Amino acid sequence: MSDPFFGVGKLDGDLDGFPPQKTVVINASPDVGNEVFGYQISHANLSNDKKVLLFLNRMSPAAYLAEMKEYNLPANDNLKIIDAYSNITGIKSQPTKNIVAVDNPYNKEEISKKLSAELDAGYDLVIFDSLSLFSDIFDIDFMFSIIDLVNSKIKDSKLSSVMLFTDWGYGEDVVSRLYKSANATIEVKGIEKRVIFGQYFAVVKCDWIEKSMPRTALFKAVKPGGIKIYIPKILVTGPTDAGKSSFIHSASKTAVSVDKLGGTIALDHGHIDFDGYSADLFGTPGQERFDPLLELLGGEAIGVLLVVDSTKPDQFPRALEMLRKTETFGLPIVVVANKADLNGALETDDIRKRLHLEDSVPVIKTVAEDPSSIDPNQPTKLKSEGVDSALRSLFSQLT
Amino acid sequence: MGFLSTGFKSFDTKTQGLETKSTYLIVGSKDSGKEMFVYKLVSSLLANKADVVYVLTRKSSTDLVTDINKTGFNLGQYLGESFKVLDDFSRTISPTMVDNAFTKVLNGPVDLTGLNVAVSSVSNEFLRNGGEVVDVFDSLSQLLIYNNSPTLFRFLQFVCGKSKLSGVTSIFLLDEEMHTPEINETIRSLIDVVISLKLENGKRYFTMSGGQKEVLDWSLLE
Repeated sequence: MSDPFFGVGKLDGDLDGFPPQKTVVINASPDVGNEVFGYQISHANLSNDKKVLLFLNRMSPAAYLAEMKEYNLPANDNLKIIDAYSNITGIKSQPTKNIVAVDNPYNKEEISKKLSAELDAGYDLVIFDSLSLFSDIFDIDFMFSIIDLVNSKIKDSKLSSVMLFTDWGYGEDVVSRLYKSANATIEVKGIEKRVIFGQYFAVVKCDWIEKSMPRTALFKAVKPGGIKIYIPKILVTGPTDAGKSSFIHSASKTAVSVDKLGGTIALDHGHIDFDGYSADLFGTPGQERFDPLLELLGGEAIGVLLVVDSTKPDQFPRALEMLRKTETFGLPIVVVANKADLNGALETDDIRKRLHLEDSVPVIKTVAEDPSSIDPNQPTKLKSEGVDSALRSLFSQLT
Repeated sequence: MGFLSTGFKSFDTKTQGLETKSTYLIVGSKDSGKEMFVYKLVSSLLANKADVVYVLTRKSSTDLVTDINKTGFNLGQYLGESFKVLDDFSRTISPTMVDNAFTKVLNGPVDLTGLNVAVSSVSNEFLRNGGEVVDVFDSLSQLLIYNNSPTLFRFLQFVCGKSKLSGVTSIFLLDEEMHTPEINETIRSLIDVVISLKLENGKRYFTMSGGQKEVLDWSLLE
């Protein structure tokens, strides 16, 4: 039978699963959570005929199993749950052949005793749904006593363990001690400015592989489906004829437009591999009659390139309206000040001021290539200097 | 800095309303009218096009809607649109309770991470609309029943910090009679503005301390 594994392709690929007798800590910031890693690891191993023990102190077994189902990561009869939650609420824990009830979840001795007994029962994997709750409900020392108990049992068995931990600010010494207790550590964090616009995991330690650390990946927790590596979507929006299609076609060699009579009527799309990033650009139409499409097009975007015509400040209110309609306020943004070389073009500070943007929002000038090279049947190509600068500026905000 | 009307004329006249992007603690005895104050505030916020996330820890979302509707304000058009409920109560009595169009059912008061992730997620959805967003936590006292005080303080400190960062106005209810003076004092120190309410001779009064416009003498709330 194979070793336990994560069930997350990227982790299994990077770490080759994880061998028996290892402890993995998955440490999340409080904004993003890590519970879906537990569902996925549990499901993947249960489906592979592994015997999995789950220590549950955050929610009831019924709610946990329902959550697994919602992610289409169902459990099976190979799962046994130590229920250290139900009896602190109005739900009475019901022992079954798959559930061990902790009668008093506030009793350290009972918890340690029942956990120790189960750890001797021949499981392949033990998952702690919330290690940090040992600290929250009891104290840090009890949390580390649980880790020590598991690590001592692991030495003499085929067992591996996964411990989900949320760092509510316990202090660097606690986190450092926790990481030292584990063979591998994965951090799960959000990417945020004003709002959280993405999340990623990073393997910061793994003592059974030689690869360099950290190894990171953007991801989403999808219902159904679980953890999915996330490919960023960047929205390119702005008023009619500001140069959105031109920007996308200049940035991407494979850009396509759905257009009619020279104006974009549905969307532009372009894939780019630039500066080590792989991203998809989605352009919106600028005409008001297509506004019902904007919310749809703005969905899932994690960054915005707002293209404006530097010579037409009268269109700036429309540019802001499009940000609102695409529901992208608060996302990382770069203003592309196009046609910056034409008569009447405003300077970047003036554009920022008229758009009521914060000083920190980059405004990058772009200009068309040599007019003699313009093909009237194709979007105008912009000089790469401005296009590259705008992309670089946005990517720097996203990481 | 903008202000949000509470719907109480006397309060808004003396204070200009609630400062946006601030954190508020509403305290008072059981009969002081904290819920009544918040229900009227929520009605006013929704009528003025703000988005509201309402965290429940001691009743179901159905009961909340009924209670607000009883005040004469019809929540119907706002449910699931600009008014969303995070129900952190129902699964403590019925573990398989599921979401509805305007309610996300959470795991229960021990799972503060789940609560924080949900508040952050729904608030983020609203923030992307570009309007004012208000998070209401009703109440901290219930969370203190299930969590020890240092855990709750860490949670509160984190939530208040995030609230500032994202530009959300947050309102927390607390039954101070249920907790020790030390706990109450620590919670007060983590929050910008404290609104105290009391009932006396059939009339309600308020004070407000910590904001730009303090009202330190008991004033009639009407």
